[in-house]
Amino acid sequence: MSVIVVGEVDGNDVKEISQQVAAVASGMGDVIGIVMGKGISDAAMKLSTSKIIIADDEALEYYDPVKFTSIVAQIVNQNNATKVLMGATTMGKDLGPRVAAELGWGYLGDCLEAGNEGFVRPNYAGKVLAKSNTTDSVVLSIRNNAYPAGESWSGSVENFSGEIPDSGLTTTTIENVGAGTIELTEASIVVSGGRGLESPENYDEHIRPLAAAMGAAAGASRAIVDAGWVTHSHQVGQTGKTVTPDLYMAIGISGAIQHLGGMSGSKFIVAINKDSEAPIFKVADYGIVGDLFEIIPLLKSKLEN
Amino acid sequence: MNIVVLVKMVPDTESRLEIVDGKVNESGFKYMVNPYDEFAVEQAVQFKEANGGKVTILSLFSNDGSIDTDLRKMMAIGADEAIVLRQDNYRGDKPSANATVLSNAIKEMEADLIIGGVQGIDYYQSATGPMIAHMLGIPHISGVTNLELNDGKFTAKRQVEGGLQIIECSNPLLVTCQKDMTKVRFPALKDIMMSKRKPFESRTVEPVESNDVETAECSLPPARGGGMIIEGESSEDKVDKLIEKLKTEAKVI
Ligand SMILES: Cc1cc2nc3c(=O)[nH]c(=O)nc-3n(C[C@H](O)[C@H](O)[C@H](O)COP(=O)(O)OP(=O)(O)OC[C@H]3O[C@@H](n4cnc5c(N)ncnc54)[C@H](O)[C@@H]3O)c2cc1C
Ligand SMILES: Nc1ncnc2c1ncn2[C@@H]1O[C@H](COP(=O)(O)O)[C@@H](O)[C@H]1O
Repeated sequence: MSVIVVGEVDGNDVKEISQQVAAVASGMGDVIGIVMGKGISDAAMKLSTSKIIIADDEALEYYDPVKFTSIVAQIVNQNNATKVLMGATTMGKDLGPRVAAELGWGYLGDCLEAGNEGFVRPNYAGKVLAKSNTTDSVVLSIRNNAYPAGESWSGSVENFSGEIPDSGLTTTTIENVGAGTIELTEASIVVSGGRGLESPENYDEHIRPLAAAMGAAAGASRAIVDAGWVTHSHQVGQTGKTVTPDLYMAIGISGAIQHLGGMSGSKFIVAINKDSEAPIFKVADYGIVGDLFEIIPLLKSKLEN
Repeated sequence: MNIVVLVKMVPDTESRLEIVDGKVNESGFKYMVNPYDEFAVEQAVQFKEANGGKVTILSLFSNDGSIDTDLRKMMAIGADEAIVLRQDNYRGDKPSANATVLSNAIKEMEADLIIGGVQGIDYYQSATGPMIAHMLGIPHISGVTNLELNDGKFTAKRQVEGGLQIIECSNPLLVTCQKDMTKVRFPALKDIMMSKRKPFESRTVEPVESNDVETAECSLPPARGGGMIIEGESSEDKVDKLIEKLKTEAKVI
Protein backbone atom coordinates (compact mmCIF):
# COMPACT_ATOMS: atom_id res chain seq x y z
CA MET A 1 0.00 0.00 0.00
CA SER A 2 1.52 3.30 -0.88
CA VAL A 3 1.09 6.63 0.79
CA ILE A 4 1.92 10.00 -0.76
CA VAL A 5 3.56 12.83 1.15
CA VAL A 6 3.48 16.26 -0.45
CA GLY A 7 6.63 18.01 0.72
CA GLU A 8 7.51 21.69 0.69
CA VAL A 9 10.90 23.31 0.51
CA ASP A 10 12.13 26.50 2.06
CA GLY A 11 15.37 27.73 0.50
CA ASN A 12 17.90 24.89 0.46
CA ASP A 13 15.97 22.65 2.80
CA VAL A 14 12.82 20.66 3.12
CA LYS A 15 10.47 22.33 5.59
CA GLU A 16 10.47 20.91 9.10
CA ILE A 17 6.70 20.31 8.87
CA SER A 18 7.22 18.16 5.76
CA GLN A 19 9.73 15.98 7.62
CA GLN A 20 7.17 15.65 10.43
CA VAL A 21 4.56 14.52 7.92
CA ALA A 22 7.01 12.07 6.35
CA ALA A 23 7.58 10.57 9.81
CA VAL A 24 3.81 10.18 10.38
CA ALA A 25 3.36 8.58 6.96
CA SER A 26 6.14 6.05 7.49
CA GLY A 27 3.82 4.18 9.85
CA MET A 28 1.13 3.87 7.16
CA GLY A 29 2.81 2.13 4.24
CA ASP A 30 5.41 2.66 1.50
CA VAL A 31 5.92 6.37 1.35
CA ILE A 32 6.40 8.28 -1.87
CA GLY A 33 7.29 11.94 -1.53
CA ILE A 34 6.31 14.57 -4.07
CA VAL A 35 7.90 17.98 -4.17
CA MET A 36 6.78 20.59 -6.67
CA GLY A 37 8.40 23.90 -7.52
CA LYS A 38 11.06 25.59 -9.58
CA GLY A 39 14.76 25.06 -8.86
CA ILE A 40 13.91 22.91 -5.87
CA SER A 41 15.53 19.59 -6.82
CA ASP A 42 18.51 19.73 -4.46
CA ALA A 43 16.40 20.68 -1.48
CA ALA A 44 13.62 18.24 -2.38
CA MET A 45 16.02 15.30 -2.23
CA LYS A 46 16.31 15.80 1.52
CA LEU A 47 12.70 14.75 2.12
CA SER A 48 12.84 11.65 4.30
CA THR A 49 10.81 9.26 2.17
CA SER A 50 12.15 6.14 0.47
CA LYS A 51 11.14 7.41 -2.96
CA ILE A 52 10.90 11.01 -4.06
CA ILE A 53 9.21 12.32 -7.18
CA ILE A 54 10.30 15.80 -8.11
CA ALA A 55 8.31 18.09 -10.36
CA ASP A 56 10.78 20.89 -11.03
CA ASP A 57 9.43 23.19 -13.68
CA GLU A 58 9.27 26.82 -14.70
CA ALA A 59 5.47 26.58 -14.51
CA LEU A 60 5.62 25.56 -10.83
CA GLU A 61 7.56 28.53 -9.50
CA TYR A 62 4.64 29.54 -7.30
CA TYR A 63 2.06 27.38 -5.61
CA ASP A 64 -1.00 26.97 -7.84
CA PRO A 65 -3.94 24.82 -6.67
CA VAL A 66 -4.98 23.69 -10.15
CA LYS A 67 -1.51 22.61 -11.30
CA PHE A 68 -0.48 21.07 -8.00
CA THR A 69 -3.76 19.15 -7.66
CA SER A 70 -3.34 17.67 -11.12
CA ILE A 71 0.23 16.53 -10.45
CA VAL A 72 -0.63 14.94 -7.10
CA ALA A 73 -3.64 13.15 -8.61
CA GLN A 74 -1.56 11.78 -11.50
CA ILE A 75 1.00 10.37 -9.08
CA VAL A 76 -1.69 8.93 -6.79
CA ASN A 77 -3.26 7.12 -9.74
CA GLN A 78 0.03 5.80 -11.12
CA ASN A 79 0.99 4.36 -7.74
CA ASN A 80 -2.43 3.20 -6.54
CA ALA A 81 -1.87 5.22 -3.41
CA THR A 82 -4.53 5.18 -0.72
CA LYS A 83 -3.57 8.23 1.32
CA VAL A 84 -2.19 11.67 0.65
CA LEU A 85 -0.59 13.59 3.52
CA MET A 86 0.70 17.11 3.71
CA GLY A 87 1.45 19.76 6.31
CA ALA A 88 -1.38 22.05 7.38
CA THR A 89 0.49 25.03 5.93
CA THR A 90 -1.10 27.74 3.80
CA MET A 91 -0.36 25.46 0.86
CA GLY A 92 -1.54 22.23 2.47
CA LYS A 93 -4.83 23.68 3.70
CA ASP A 94 -5.53 25.02 0.23
CA LEU A 95 -4.34 22.01 -1.77
CA GLY A 96 -5.67 19.19 0.41
CA PRO A 97 -9.41 19.78 -0.16
CA ARG A 98 -8.95 20.28 -3.89
CA VAL A 99 -7.00 17.01 -4.16
CA ALA A 100 -9.73 15.26 -2.16
CA ALA A 101 -12.36 16.61 -4.55
CA GLU A 102 -10.36 15.46 -7.58
CA LEU A 103 -9.85 11.96 -6.19
CA GLY A 104 -13.34 11.70 -4.68
CA TRP A 105 -11.82 10.94 -1.27
CA GLY A 106 -12.59 12.22 2.20
CA TYR A 107 -10.59 15.08 3.64
CA LEU A 108 -9.42 15.68 7.19
CA GLY A 109 -7.79 19.05 7.74
CA ASP A 110 -5.31 20.11 10.40
CA CYS A 111 -5.03 16.70 12.10
CA LEU A 112 -3.47 16.57 15.54
CA GLU A 113 -3.10 12.80 15.35
CA ALA A 114 -3.00 10.50 12.37
CA GLY A 115 -2.16 6.83 12.44
CA ASN A 116 -3.42 3.33 12.77
CA GLU A 117 -5.37 4.27 15.89
CA GLY A 118 -7.36 6.82 13.96
CA PHE A 119 -7.38 10.50 13.18
CA VAL A 120 -8.01 13.35 15.57
CA ARG A 121 -8.80 16.88 14.47
CA PRO A 122 -9.98 19.97 16.31
CA ASN A 123 -13.56 21.27 16.12
CA TYR A 124 -14.81 24.58 17.52
CA ALA A 125 -11.32 26.08 17.66
CA GLY A 126 -9.93 23.10 19.52
CA LYS A 127 -12.59 23.18 22.22
CA VAL A 128 -13.67 19.72 21.05
CA LEU A 129 -11.57 16.92 19.56
CA ALA A 130 -13.20 14.78 16.88
CA LYS A 131 -11.86 11.31 16.30
CA SER A 132 -12.51 9.17 13.25
CA ASN A 133 -11.35 5.68 12.39
CA THR A 134 -11.75 5.47 8.66
CA THR A 135 -9.94 2.86 6.59
CA ASP A 136 -11.02 4.51 3.33
CA SER A 137 -8.73 6.53 1.14
CA VAL A 138 -8.28 10.00 2.57
CA VAL A 139 -6.38 13.22 2.13
CA LEU A 140 -4.94 14.57 5.38
CA SER A 141 -3.23 17.74 6.40
CA ILE A 142 -1.22 17.52 9.61
CA ARG A 143 -0.74 20.33 12.07
CA ASN A 144 2.75 21.66 12.67
CA ASN A 145 4.50 20.32 15.76
CA ALA A 146 2.00 17.50 16.27
CA TYR A 147 4.78 15.00 15.56
CA PRO A 148 8.58 14.97 15.72
CA ALA A 149 10.34 15.28 12.38
CA GLY A 150 11.96 12.36 10.60
CA GLU A 151 15.72 12.44 10.05
CA SER A 152 16.71 14.11 6.84
CA TRP A 153 17.87 11.51 4.34
CA SER A 154 17.35 10.99 0.67
CA GLY A 155 15.60 8.14 -1.04
CA SER A 156 15.58 7.24 -4.70
CA VAL A 157 14.70 10.16 -6.91
CA GLU A 158 12.54 10.32 -10.00
CA ASN A 159 11.42 13.24 -12.11
CA PHE A 160 7.76 13.85 -12.72
CA SER A 161 7.02 13.30 -16.38
CA GLY A 162 3.26 13.91 -16.59
CA GLU A 163 1.25 16.86 -17.75
CA ILE A 164 1.05 20.24 -16.05
CA PRO A 165 -2.26 21.91 -16.95
CA ASP A 166 -2.88 25.62 -17.35
CA SER A 167 -4.81 27.17 -14.49
CA GLY A 168 -5.80 30.72 -15.35
CA LEU A 169 -4.02 31.90 -12.21
CA THR A 170 -0.89 34.00 -12.57
CA THR A 171 1.23 34.72 -9.54
CA THR A 172 3.16 37.89 -10.22
CA THR A 173 5.26 37.87 -7.09
CA ILE A 174 5.54 37.09 -3.40
CA GLU A 175 5.65 40.40 -1.56
CA ASN A 176 8.01 40.12 1.31
CA VAL A 177 6.17 41.74 4.15
CA GLY A 178 7.64 41.38 7.59
CA ALA A 179 10.85 39.94 6.15
CA GLY A 180 13.11 38.61 8.84
CA THR A 181 10.28 37.96 11.25
CA ILE A 182 9.32 34.44 12.17
CA GLU A 183 6.06 32.92 10.99
CA LEU A 184 3.54 32.52 13.82
CA THR A 185 2.36 29.05 12.87
CA GLU A 186 5.90 27.71 12.44
CA ALA A 187 7.55 29.32 15.44
CA SER A 188 8.70 27.25 18.39
CA ILE A 189 8.17 30.23 20.68
CA VAL A 190 5.34 32.77 20.38
CA VAL A 191 5.22 35.99 22.41
CA SER A 192 1.77 37.59 22.28
CA GLY A 193 0.51 40.87 23.62
CA GLY A 194 -2.97 42.12 24.41
CA ARG A 195 -4.88 45.18 25.50
CA GLY A 196 -2.87 45.32 28.73
CA LEU A 197 -0.14 46.96 26.66
CA GLU A 198 -2.28 50.09 26.40
CA SER A 199 -0.89 51.37 23.10
CA PRO A 200 0.61 50.27 19.79
CA GLU A 201 3.87 51.98 20.72
CA ASN A 202 4.10 49.75 23.77
CA TYR A 203 3.60 46.68 21.59
CA ASP A 204 6.56 47.77 19.49
CA GLU A 205 8.61 48.64 22.54
CA HIS A 206 7.90 45.54 24.64
CA ILE A 207 6.53 42.63 22.60
CA ARG A 208 8.61 42.82 19.43
CA PRO A 209 12.00 43.20 21.18
CA LEU A 210 11.19 40.40 23.65
CA ALA A 211 10.19 38.19 20.72
CA ALA A 212 13.40 39.09 18.92
CA ALA A 213 15.46 38.33 22.04
CA MET A 214 13.83 34.89 22.31
CA GLY A 215 13.89 34.03 18.60
CA ALA A 216 10.11 34.03 18.77
CA ALA A 217 7.22 35.12 16.56
CA ALA A 218 5.10 38.03 17.79
CA GLY A 219 1.37 37.41 18.21
CA ALA A 220 -1.64 39.36 19.42
CA SER A 221 -5.13 39.13 20.85
CA ARG A 222 -8.05 40.20 18.71
CA ALA A 223 -8.66 43.24 20.88
CA ILE A 224 -5.48 44.90 19.66
CA VAL A 225 -5.92 43.72 16.08
CA ASP A 226 -9.37 45.29 16.01
CA ALA A 227 -7.91 48.44 17.52
CA GLY A 228 -5.50 48.57 14.58
CA TRP A 229 -2.29 48.24 16.59
CA VAL A 230 -1.08 45.26 14.57
CA THR A 231 -2.33 43.48 11.44
CA HIS A 232 -4.61 40.48 11.49
CA SER A 233 -1.72 38.24 10.49
CA HIS A 234 -0.65 38.51 14.16
CA GLN A 235 -3.99 37.39 15.62
CA VAL A 236 -4.10 34.19 17.62
CA GLY A 237 -7.46 32.60 18.36
CA GLN A 238 -10.69 31.31 17.00
CA THR A 239 -10.82 33.87 14.19
CA GLY A 240 -7.06 34.15 13.91
CA LYS A 241 -4.25 31.63 13.75
CA THR A 242 -3.98 28.42 15.69
CA VAL A 243 -0.51 28.04 17.12
CA THR A 244 1.08 25.07 18.84
CA PRO A 245 4.57 26.22 19.81
CA ASP A 246 6.75 24.74 22.54
CA LEU A 247 6.31 27.97 24.48
CA TYR A 248 3.47 30.50 24.32
CA MET A 249 3.75 33.74 26.30
CA ALA A 250 0.52 35.67 26.88
CA ILE A 251 1.30 39.18 28.05
CA GLY A 252 -1.51 41.51 29.09
CA ILE A 253 -4.04 39.08 27.60
CA SER A 254 -7.08 38.11 29.68
CA GLY A 255 -7.56 34.68 28.12
CA ALA A 256 -11.03 34.89 26.54
CA ILE A 257 -12.35 31.55 25.32
CA GLN A 258 -11.83 32.64 21.69
CA HIS A 259 -8.18 33.41 22.39
CA LEU A 260 -7.61 30.11 24.23
CA GLY A 261 -8.97 28.29 21.18
CA GLY A 262 -5.93 29.37 19.21
CA MET A 263 -3.17 28.62 21.68
CA SER A 264 -4.22 26.07 24.28
CA GLY A 265 -2.48 23.30 22.32
CA SER A 266 0.91 24.88 23.09
CA LYS A 267 3.33 22.70 25.05
CA PHE A 268 4.04 25.32 27.71
CA ILE A 269 2.12 28.49 28.45
CA VAL A 270 3.36 31.49 30.39
CA ALA A 271 0.93 34.22 31.45
CA ILE A 272 1.86 37.66 32.68
CA ASN A 273 -1.10 39.67 33.91
CA LYS A 274 -1.75 42.08 36.74
CA ASP A 275 -5.14 40.55 37.52
CA SER A 276 -4.73 37.33 39.47
CA GLU A 277 -8.30 36.34 38.47
CA ALA A 278 -7.62 36.54 34.72
CA PRO A 279 -8.79 33.31 33.06
CA ILE A 280 -5.47 32.96 31.21
CA PHE A 281 -3.93 31.73 34.48
CA LYS A 282 -6.16 28.65 34.40
CA VAL A 283 -4.30 27.34 31.37
CA ALA A 284 -0.85 28.71 32.17
CA ASP A 285 1.91 26.38 33.29
CA TYR A 286 3.71 29.37 34.77
CA GLY A 287 1.95 32.58 35.73
CA ILE A 288 3.32 35.84 37.01
CA VAL A 289 0.83 38.20 38.62
CA GLY A 290 2.27 41.65 38.10
CA ASP A 291 2.66 44.73 35.99
CA LEU A 292 3.91 43.86 32.54
CA PHE A 293 5.69 47.21 32.24
CA GLU A 294 7.89 46.14 35.12
CA ILE A 295 8.22 42.43 34.26
CA ILE A 296 8.91 42.54 30.52
CA PRO A 297 11.97 44.83 30.58
CA LEU A 298 13.46 42.67 33.34
CA LEU A 299 12.75 39.48 31.45
CA LYS A 300 14.17 40.86 28.23
CA SER A 301 17.39 42.12 29.74
CA LYS A 302 17.97 38.87 31.62
CA LEU A 303 17.31 36.75 28.54
CA GLU A 304 19.67 38.85 26.47
CA ASN A 305 22.50 38.17 28.91
CA MET B 1 -21.07 40.95 -12.74
CA ASN B 2 -22.89 38.09 -11.11
CA ILE B 3 -21.57 37.31 -7.64
CA VAL B 4 -22.53 34.38 -5.45
CA VAL B 5 -21.62 34.69 -1.77
CA LEU B 6 -21.34 31.49 0.25
CA VAL B 7 -22.61 31.98 3.77
CA LYS B 8 -22.31 29.22 6.32
CA MET B 9 -24.37 29.35 9.49
CA VAL B 10 -22.21 28.21 12.41
CA PRO B 11 -22.77 27.76 16.15
CA ASP B 12 -22.30 30.99 18.07
CA THR B 13 -18.81 31.13 19.64
CA GLU B 14 -20.44 31.39 23.06
CA SER B 15 -22.37 28.13 22.61
CA ARG B 16 -21.89 25.68 25.44
CA LEU B 17 -19.99 22.61 24.33
CA GLU B 18 -21.13 19.53 26.16
CA ILE B 19 -20.34 15.97 25.15
CA VAL B 20 -22.96 13.27 25.65
CA ASP B 21 -22.10 9.70 24.65
CA GLY B 22 -19.23 10.82 22.47
CA LYS B 23 -21.31 13.37 20.62
CA VAL B 24 -21.51 17.12 20.96
CA ASN B 25 -24.91 18.08 22.32
CA GLU B 26 -26.08 20.50 19.68
CA SER B 27 -29.60 20.97 20.98
CA GLY B 28 -28.91 24.32 22.65
CA PHE B 29 -26.91 25.79 19.77
CA LYS B 30 -27.71 29.22 18.46
CA TYR B 31 -26.40 29.94 15.00
CA MET B 32 -24.69 32.95 13.50
CA VAL B 33 -23.16 33.90 10.17
CA ASN B 34 -19.63 32.53 9.96
CA PRO B 35 -17.52 35.64 10.73
CA TYR B 36 -15.30 35.29 7.64
CA ASP B 37 -18.33 35.19 5.38
CA GLU B 38 -19.34 38.72 6.38
CA PHE B 39 -16.19 39.95 4.66
CA ALA B 40 -17.26 38.06 1.57
CA VAL B 41 -20.67 39.75 1.58
CA GLU B 42 -19.14 43.20 2.02
CA GLN B 43 -16.55 42.66 -0.72
CA ALA B 44 -19.20 41.39 -3.14
CA VAL B 45 -21.40 44.41 -2.46
CA GLN B 46 -18.46 46.77 -3.04
CA PHE B 47 -17.79 45.18 -6.43
CA LYS B 48 -21.45 45.48 -7.32
CA GLU B 49 -21.55 49.11 -6.30
CA ALA B 50 -18.50 49.84 -8.47
CA ASN B 51 -19.35 47.72 -11.50
CA GLY B 52 -23.04 46.90 -11.37
CA GLY B 53 -24.42 43.37 -11.31
CA LYS B 54 -26.10 41.18 -8.76
CA VAL B 55 -25.12 39.69 -5.41
CA THR B 56 -26.81 36.46 -4.35
CA ILE B 57 -26.31 34.92 -0.93
CA LEU B 58 -26.29 31.14 -1.02
CA SER B 59 -26.47 29.07 2.13
CA LEU B 60 -26.99 25.37 2.75
CA PHE B 61 -28.57 24.66 6.11
CA SER B 62 -31.21 22.61 7.87
CA ASN B 63 -34.92 23.39 8.02
CA ASP B 64 -34.35 25.49 11.13
CA GLY B 65 -35.76 28.91 10.25
CA SER B 66 -34.16 30.76 13.17
CA ILE B 67 -31.24 31.76 10.95
CA ASP B 68 -33.34 33.81 8.55
CA THR B 69 -33.00 37.06 10.50
CA ASP B 70 -29.23 36.83 10.45
CA LEU B 71 -29.22 36.20 6.71
CA ARG B 72 -31.49 39.22 6.24
CA LYS B 73 -28.80 41.28 7.98
CA MET B 74 -26.40 40.24 5.24
CA MET B 75 -28.91 41.52 2.72
CA ALA B 76 -29.03 44.83 4.55
CA ILE B 77 -25.31 45.18 3.75
CA GLY B 78 -26.40 45.23 0.12
CA ALA B 79 -26.88 41.72 -1.23
CA ASP B 80 -29.82 41.52 -3.66
CA GLU B 81 -31.28 38.15 -2.83
CA ALA B 82 -30.80 35.06 -0.69
CA ILE B 83 -31.25 31.42 -1.57
CA VAL B 84 -31.28 28.98 1.34
CA LEU B 85 -30.96 25.32 0.49
CA ARG B 86 -32.82 23.40 3.17
CA GLN B 87 -31.68 19.86 3.81
CA ASP B 88 -32.88 17.32 6.34
CA ASN B 89 -30.04 16.23 8.60
CA TYR B 90 -27.71 18.92 7.24
CA ARG B 91 -24.31 18.77 8.90
CA GLY B 92 -21.53 21.35 8.67
CA ASP B 93 -18.81 18.73 8.87
CA LYS B 94 -19.41 17.17 5.46
CA PRO B 95 -17.44 19.43 3.16
CA SER B 96 -17.59 17.24 0.10
CA ALA B 97 -21.31 16.51 0.35
CA ASN B 98 -22.01 20.19 1.02
CA ALA B 99 -19.72 21.32 -1.80
CA THR B 100 -21.56 18.97 -4.16
CA VAL B 101 -24.97 20.42 -3.27
CA LEU B 102 -23.69 24.01 -3.37
CA SER B 103 -21.84 23.60 -6.66
CA ASN B 104 -24.93 22.05 -8.26
CA ALA B 105 -26.90 25.14 -7.30
CA ILE B 106 -24.15 27.48 -8.51
CA LYS B 107 -24.00 25.78 -11.92
CA GLU B 108 -27.38 27.30 -12.72
CA MET B 109 -26.44 30.77 -11.61
CA GLU B 110 -23.84 31.84 -14.19
CA ALA B 111 -21.57 33.30 -11.55
CA ASP B 112 -18.54 35.37 -12.49
CA LEU B 113 -17.24 35.38 -8.95
CA ILE B 114 -17.98 33.03 -6.08
CA ILE B 115 -16.81 34.31 -2.75
CA GLY B 116 -16.89 32.79 0.73
CA GLY B 117 -14.94 32.57 3.96
CA VAL B 118 -11.55 30.98 4.44
CA GLN B 119 -12.92 28.59 7.04
CA GLY B 120 -15.97 27.75 9.07
CA ILE B 121 -15.36 28.39 12.77
CA ASP B 122 -17.33 25.23 13.53
CA TYR B 123 -15.23 22.45 12.05
CA TYR B 124 -12.23 24.37 10.80
CA GLN B 125 -11.94 22.38 7.59
CA SER B 126 -11.28 25.25 5.14
CA ALA B 127 -12.41 22.76 2.56
CA THR B 128 -15.70 23.78 1.01
CA GLY B 129 -14.39 26.64 -1.16
CA PRO B 130 -11.58 24.77 -2.94
CA MET B 131 -13.86 21.75 -3.37
CA ILE B 132 -16.62 23.80 -4.99
CA ALA B 133 -14.08 25.43 -7.32
CA HIS B 134 -12.82 22.02 -8.34
CA MET B 135 -16.33 20.73 -8.96
CA LEU B 136 -17.06 23.75 -11.12
CA GLY B 137 -13.75 23.35 -12.94
CA ILE B 138 -12.59 26.86 -12.09
CA PRO B 139 -9.52 28.19 -10.24
CA HIS B 140 -9.65 29.36 -6.64
CA ILE B 141 -7.60 31.57 -4.36
CA SER B 142 -7.94 31.00 -0.62
CA GLY B 143 -7.21 33.12 2.45
CA VAL B 144 -7.31 36.37 0.50
CA THR B 145 -6.55 39.56 2.45
CA ASN B 146 -7.12 41.97 -0.43
CA LEU B 147 -9.05 41.64 -3.67
CA GLU B 148 -9.19 44.22 -6.44
CA LEU B 149 -11.01 44.27 -9.71
CA ASN B 150 -9.67 46.32 -12.63
CA ASP B 151 -10.77 45.98 -16.26
CA GLY B 152 -12.33 42.59 -15.59
CA LYS B 153 -9.19 41.24 -13.96
CA PHE B 154 -8.92 40.27 -10.29
CA THR B 155 -5.77 40.81 -8.29
CA ALA B 156 -5.67 38.96 -5.00
CA LYS B 157 -3.25 39.06 -2.11
CA ARG B 158 -2.96 35.86 -0.21
CA GLN B 159 -1.08 35.41 3.02
CA VAL B 160 1.58 32.71 2.81
CA GLU B 161 4.49 31.84 5.08
CA GLY B 162 6.95 34.68 4.70
CA GLY B 163 4.88 37.08 2.64
CA LEU B 164 1.93 37.89 0.44
CA GLN B 165 1.37 35.98 -2.76
CA ILE B 166 0.01 38.31 -5.45
CA ILE B 167 -2.20 36.47 -7.91
CA GLU B 168 -4.03 37.66 -11.02
CA CYS B 169 -6.99 35.91 -12.56
CA SER B 170 -9.96 36.67 -14.75
CA ASN B 171 -13.44 35.30 -14.06
CA PRO B 172 -14.93 32.86 -13.30
CA LEU B 173 -13.05 32.51 -10.05
CA LEU B 174 -13.70 31.37 -6.47
CA VAL B 175 -12.14 33.33 -3.62
CA THR B 176 -12.18 32.71 0.13
CA CYS B 177 -11.69 35.67 2.46
CA GLN B 178 -9.30 36.09 5.33
CA LYS B 179 -10.37 38.37 8.14
CA ASP B 180 -8.53 41.58 7.32
CA MET B 181 -9.93 41.74 3.82
CA THR B 182 -12.24 44.71 4.14
CA LYS B 183 -14.23 46.61 6.72
CA VAL B 184 -17.82 45.43 7.04
CA ARG B 185 -20.23 48.36 7.08
CA PHE B 186 -23.01 48.95 9.56
CA PRO B 187 -26.16 49.07 7.44
CA ALA B 188 -28.28 52.20 7.66
CA LEU B 189 -31.81 51.90 8.98
CA LYS B 190 -33.27 52.34 5.50
CA ASP B 191 -31.13 49.47 4.19
CA ILE B 192 -32.37 47.29 7.02
CA MET B 193 -35.95 48.19 6.14
CA MET B 194 -35.33 47.58 2.44
CA SER B 195 -33.74 44.20 3.08
CA LYS B 196 -37.09 42.93 4.36
CA ARG B 197 -38.53 43.28 0.87
CA LYS B 198 -35.71 41.56 -0.96
CA PRO B 199 -36.28 38.07 -2.43
CA PHE B 200 -35.57 35.33 0.08
CA GLU B 201 -36.04 31.85 -1.32
CA SER B 202 -35.95 28.55 0.55
CA ARG B 203 -35.43 25.44 -1.57
CA THR B 204 -35.55 21.89 -0.35
CA VAL B 205 -32.56 19.80 -1.41
CA GLU B 206 -31.98 16.07 -1.01
CA PRO B 207 -29.01 14.69 0.91
CA VAL B 208 -26.22 13.34 -1.33
CA GLU B 209 -23.77 10.46 -1.01
CA SER B 210 -20.19 11.44 -0.28
CA ASN B 211 -16.86 10.17 0.96
CA ASP B 212 -16.76 12.57 3.87
CA VAL B 213 -15.16 10.96 6.88
CA GLU B 214 -17.61 10.45 9.73
CA THR B 215 -16.62 11.39 13.24
CA ALA B 216 -16.71 8.32 15.47
CA GLU B 217 -16.26 10.06 18.78
CA CYS B 218 -15.91 13.53 20.21
CA SER B 219 -14.15 14.43 23.41
CA LEU B 220 -13.09 17.51 25.29
CA PRO B 221 -9.35 18.11 25.13
CA PRO B 222 -7.53 17.03 28.26
CA ALA B 223 -7.74 19.87 30.76
CA ARG B 224 -4.46 21.70 31.01
CA GLY B 225 -2.63 21.41 34.31
CA GLY B 226 -2.20 25.15 34.53
CA GLY B 227 -2.85 27.36 37.46
CA MET B 228 0.73 27.57 38.68
CA ILE B 229 1.52 31.07 39.91
CA ILE B 230 5.14 31.95 40.49
CA GLU B 231 5.49 33.66 43.87
CA GLY B 232 8.39 35.88 44.79
CA GLU B 233 9.63 38.76 46.88
CA SER B 234 9.94 41.14 43.97
CA SER B 235 9.33 41.26 40.24
CA GLU B 236 12.99 40.48 39.69
CA ASP B 237 12.73 37.42 41.90
CA LYS B 238 9.69 36.18 39.94
CA VAL B 239 11.41 36.74 36.62
CA ASP B 240 14.48 34.81 37.78
CA LYS B 241 12.30 31.92 38.87
CA LEU B 242 10.43 31.95 35.56
CA ILE B 243 13.64 31.84 33.54
CA GLU B 244 14.91 29.01 35.73
CA LYS B 245 11.74 26.99 35.10
CA LEU B 246 11.78 27.62 31.39
CA LYS B 247 15.36 26.36 31.29
CA THR B 248 15.13 23.34 33.55
CA GLU B 249 11.50 22.16 33.53
CA ALA B 250 10.12 23.23 30.17
CA LYS B 251 13.53 23.19 28.48
CA VAL B 252 12.29 25.64 25.90
CA ILE B 253 15.03 28.22 26.19
C1 LIG C 1 -16.85 35.75 17.19
C2 LIG C 1 -15.67 36.15 18.03
C3 LIG C 1 -14.40 35.74 17.65
C4 LIG C 1 -13.27 36.12 18.41
N1 LIG C 1 -12.03 35.70 18.00
C5 LIG C 1 -10.95 36.02 18.75
C6 LIG C 1 -9.63 35.58 18.38
O1 LIG C 1 -9.43 34.91 17.34
N2 LIG C 1 -8.60 35.92 19.17
C7 LIG C 1 -8.73 36.66 20.30
O2 LIG C 1 -7.73 36.94 20.97
N3 LIG C 1 -9.96 37.10 20.66
C8 LIG C 1 -11.06 36.82 19.91
N4 LIG C 1 -12.27 37.32 20.28
C9 LIG C 1 -12.32 38.38 21.33
C10 LIG C 1 -12.24 37.88 22.75
O3 LIG C 1 -13.55 37.57 23.17
C11 LIG C 1 -11.63 38.96 23.67
O4 LIG C 1 -12.40 40.13 23.56
C12 LIG C 1 -10.17 39.31 23.37
O5 LIG C 1 -9.39 38.14 23.27
C13 LIG C 1 -9.63 40.18 24.49
O6 LIG C 1 -8.33 40.63 24.19
P1 LIG C 1 -7.32 41.00 25.37
O7 LIG C 1 -7.10 39.82 26.23
O8 LIG C 1 -6.11 41.61 24.73
O9 LIG C 1 -8.07 42.18 26.12
P2 LIG C 1 -8.76 42.23 27.56
O10 LIG C 1 -9.76 41.16 27.70
O11 LIG C 1 -9.17 43.63 27.75
O12 LIG C 1 -7.58 41.88 28.55
C14 LIG C 1 -6.50 42.72 28.86
C15 LIG C 1 -5.77 42.08 30.02
O13 LIG C 1 -4.58 42.81 30.28
C16 LIG C 1 -4.40 42.85 31.69
N5 LIG C 1 -3.57 44.04 31.99
C17 LIG C 1 -3.92 45.34 31.90
N6 LIG C 1 -2.89 46.14 32.23
C18 LIG C 1 -1.86 45.31 32.56
C19 LIG C 1 -0.52 45.55 33.01
N7 LIG C 1 -0.02 46.78 33.15
N8 LIG C 1 0.26 44.48 33.28
C20 LIG C 1 -0.24 43.22 33.12
N9 LIG C 1 -1.49 42.94 32.71
C21 LIG C 1 -2.29 43.99 32.42
C22 LIG C 1 -5.77 42.91 32.28
O14 LIG C 1 -5.78 42.42 33.60
C23 LIG C 1 -6.57 42.02 31.31
O15 LIG C 1 -6.61 40.69 31.77
C24 LIG C 1 -13.41 36.94 19.57
C25 LIG C 1 -14.70 37.32 19.96
C26 LIG C 1 -15.81 36.94 19.22
C27 LIG C 1 -17.19 37.38 19.71
N1 LIG D 1 -23.37 24.98 4.26
C1 LIG D 1 -22.78 26.00 3.64
N2 LIG D 1 -23.51 26.95 2.99
C2 LIG D 1 -22.90 27.99 2.36
N3 LIG D 1 -21.57 28.16 2.36
C3 LIG D 1 -20.79 27.27 2.99
C4 LIG D 1 -21.34 26.14 3.66
N4 LIG D 1 -20.34 25.43 4.18
C5 LIG D 1 -19.19 26.09 3.89
N5 LIG D 1 -19.46 27.21 3.17
C6 LIG D 1 -18.49 28.20 2.65
O1 LIG D 1 -17.18 27.65 2.73
C7 LIG D 1 -16.38 28.36 3.68
C8 LIG D 1 -15.46 27.42 4.39
O2 LIG D 1 -16.18 26.50 5.16
P1 LIG D 1 -15.56 25.14 5.72
O3 LIG D 1 -15.06 24.36 4.56
O4 LIG D 1 -16.71 24.48 6.40
O5 LIG D 1 -14.45 25.51 6.67
C9 LIG D 1 -17.37 29.11 4.54
O6 LIG D 1 -16.79 30.28 5.10
C10 LIG D 1 -18.49 29.43 3.56
O7 LIG D 1 -18.16 30.57 2.77
